Amino acid sequence: MNRKEFLSDCGKIGFAGVTLSLFPWLQSCSDKAKQEVKGEKARIGIIGTGSRGCFHIKHLVQMPNVEVVALCDNYRPHLEDAAQYYPKAKLYDDYRHLLEQRDVEGVIIATPLYLHAPMTLDALSAGKRVFCEKSMGYTLDECLEVYNKRKETNGVLFIGQQRLFDPKYIKAMSMIHEGKIGDVVGVRNYWYRNNNWRRDVPSPELERHINWRLYSEYSRGLMTELACHQLQNGSWALGMLPEQVMGSGHLVHWLKEDKRDVYDCVSAIFTYPNGVNMTFESIISNKHFGMGEQILGTNGTIDLVTGMYYSDEPAPKGSGMHQLIAQIESGVMSNSVFAGTSWAAESSPLAPGVPIMTNVKVVTGESTVGAEADGSRELLEAFIHATITGRQPEKVLEESYYATQFALLADKAMHENQILRLDEKYKIPYTPLK
Amino acid sequence: MAFEFEYSAKNPLYPVSYLKLRAMHSRLEIIWTGQAENQAQGLAQRVEQEMLAMEREFNRFSEKSPLAVLNLKAAMEDVSVGEDLFMALELSEAFRRGTRGYFDIATSTSCGKDMVSYTLNPKSHSVRFNAPEVTLDLGGFAKGFALERVSRMLSDEGVERALLNFGSSSISALGTHPYGEWWAVGVDHTKQHGIVAKEVRLKDSAMSVSGRNYKGEYHIVNPHTGASVAAEELILVEGRSALVCEVLSTALYAAPKTEREAIVSQYDGYRASEILCGDCGSVSIRKIG
Ligand SMILES: NC(=O)c1ccc[n+]([C@@H]2O[C@H](COP(=O)([O-])OP(=O)(O)OC[C@H]3O[C@@H](n4cnc5c(N)ncnc54)[C@H](O)[C@@H]3O)[C@@H](O)[C@H]2O)c1
Repeated sequence: MNRKEFLSDCGKIGFAGVTLSLFPWLQSCSDKAKQEVKGEKARIGIIGTGSRGCFHIKHLVQMPNVEVVALCDNYRPHLEDAAQYYPKAKLYDDYRHLLEQRDVEGVIIATPLYLHAPMTLDALSAGKRVFCEKSMGYTLDECLEVYNKRKETNGVLFIGQQRLFDPKYIKAMSMIHEGKIGDVVGVRNYWYRNNNWRRDVPSPELERHINWRLYSEYSRGLMTELACHQLQNGSWALGMLPEQVMGSGHLVHWLKEDKRDVYDCVSAIFTYPNGVNMTFESIISNKHFGMGEQILGTNGTIDLVTGMYYSDEPAPKGSGMHQLIAQIESGVMSNSVFAGTSWAAESSPLAPGVPIMTNVKVVTGESTVGAEADGSRELLEAFIHATITGRQPEKVLEESYYATQFALLADKAMHENQILRLDEKYKIPYTPLK
Repeated sequence: MAFEFEYSAKNPLYPVSYLKLRAMHSRLEIIWTGQAENQAQGLAQRVEQEMLAMEREFNRFSEKSPLAVLNLKAAMEDVSVGEDLFMALELSEAFRRGTRGYFDIATSTSCGKDMVSYTLNPKSHSVRFNAPEVTLDLGGFAKGFALERVSRMLSDEGVERALLNFGSSSISALGTHPYGEWWAVGVDHTKQHGIVAKEVRLKDSAMSVSGRNYKGEYHIVNPHTGASVAAEELILVEGRSALVCEVLSTALYAAPKTEREAIVSQYDGYRASEILCGDCGSVSIRKIG
């Protein structure tokens, strides 16, 4: 396939057409679905109004069918920040009281990881529709418990895995499922930063409350904070789940500075039943390579982060021969054919890429809060839609569930220095998307 | 082999056919006029067959090719080869002598310089290498050879106008563009792609360009030293035979400037030039001889 054909092929799969049916959770993004909730309002409570919570608020204030009626945070300055957006909302420092508020239909949970499962369980029990930030839980058991609770209550539950709603990922995955890059033979993920991952602390007793990410009592570190986003890529592209994982993690650099106890340097290899490997690597004391996610196929590579496709058989500049057809058809002669030193078919690392769609929005992965145009808004919209309709979209929770489970399993493999498989009891129904 | 065929009879005076093939690690494109669609399609298929056959014969990297077998065994024993390969080796040897040794299909070996790498026995069509480390590579020969073959096939079928482009570096023409007195080909500026460094007019003739490859590597080796030639200029050769053009452009690139004129002068009817592309689209061209 040449460059032109490839581009025109890509153009044919519109975000609105084929893809919505390919990925069932996108159904709520259709015009019809939007029509369905027109004029209605979802009454929302937000639990955890720190940086991610406020990031969501900035989207929520722009959405016509949302009314934020309650806010909760046990750190007053953060609660007050959020209250500025919603002066009429009721304020809480204990989330259980927020859950008692009758008119709250849905809650958005953006608290530290160790609170995700308890808060989600309570919210589901209280009959609320729930959007909880990733990762889904702090332990494998917690995730299962949450998953089962959602089933049992027939509730709505979304996890903050916004790549599932990012247009460039959706385009890329549908191309992969259509076989455009050939057989998938490898998945590479990495996330590098060079900063201490700390937030400023106004007074020392707040250290653990504010820098919860750095302590294993509250967080599983890089695996639950970063990896869970990227680990989705392999299962999504391959339509199967990893069979085993091995990994190595260490605190290499930032131990000099503070008392953190989560790794600052991790590598993991996930192996799928067909032998394909997916890697994840993260280092936060060197940022040269930034954030990267690549699906490697027998015909070419898709870079998910940049939305570029790199053919393994690049056709560089055209020879102009093909243009002769049009010249002869219309009875003219002009200079179109180019000669140069020999063109060879072997792949070149310099092979120019082709954007997989127009207007690709590229996100760097540097921000710890979130980035615009990365699917977060669409994810939130889908949750609002589900809050109004009460319908849980298919598969979206399963994708998120496994993203967290494998992040946790890898973390465990690192701590135990073992090759691990996901225990049968954690397996939930998962039908591949292909 | 990837195969693309297009046909257009929008202009009834000159129905036009286009064929694109991936072959010999490169791509062959042919445009020709004047045939009915089914005729043209048949021709396209025969061209593909012929290309496949040549590829099988000349690819030293495919284990079973006669050339690979030759490379494996001919240092130990006489190996008899088919007619095509034998002819290719005969021609290559003639070109080696005719280019002061700057065209040599045994360049990739460190075999004693200026020696004859192989001996041909015309009676038994057999080949024997003269040193154990000889390896033959017909890469610099095959494209020109294939162009000759295929343009012959076209003219045998009565095609009068065609342009054949093999990997952009070897181009061969039958007749002229239907709306011109030649086929126009622009040599691409090496630093500013899309700018014509030199226009070449082809009419029943061919051209070949040598220089750094499209990745910018110096891939042509001087057979006398075994080292890659780090020359910045392109060598352009124009003349009747695509094969001679290809061989000559490679040899001239490999040869020092001082020897180039003497080499070209042995080839009647062939014109060669050095094209040096500068920054900002500038070009300087020097005729050799
Ligand atoms: N999806 C994404 O791309 C993305 C990006 C950033 C953060 N996140 C996730 O969002 C969550 C929050 O991260 P953050 O960066 O906003 O952290 P943060 O520390 O800025 O915010 C957490 C908030 O929760 C509050 N909190 C803590 N315990 C509480 C309790 N018991 N009751 C009520 N409030 C409590 C804190 O006071 C704080 O305001 C994390 O799970 C993180 O992984 C997701």
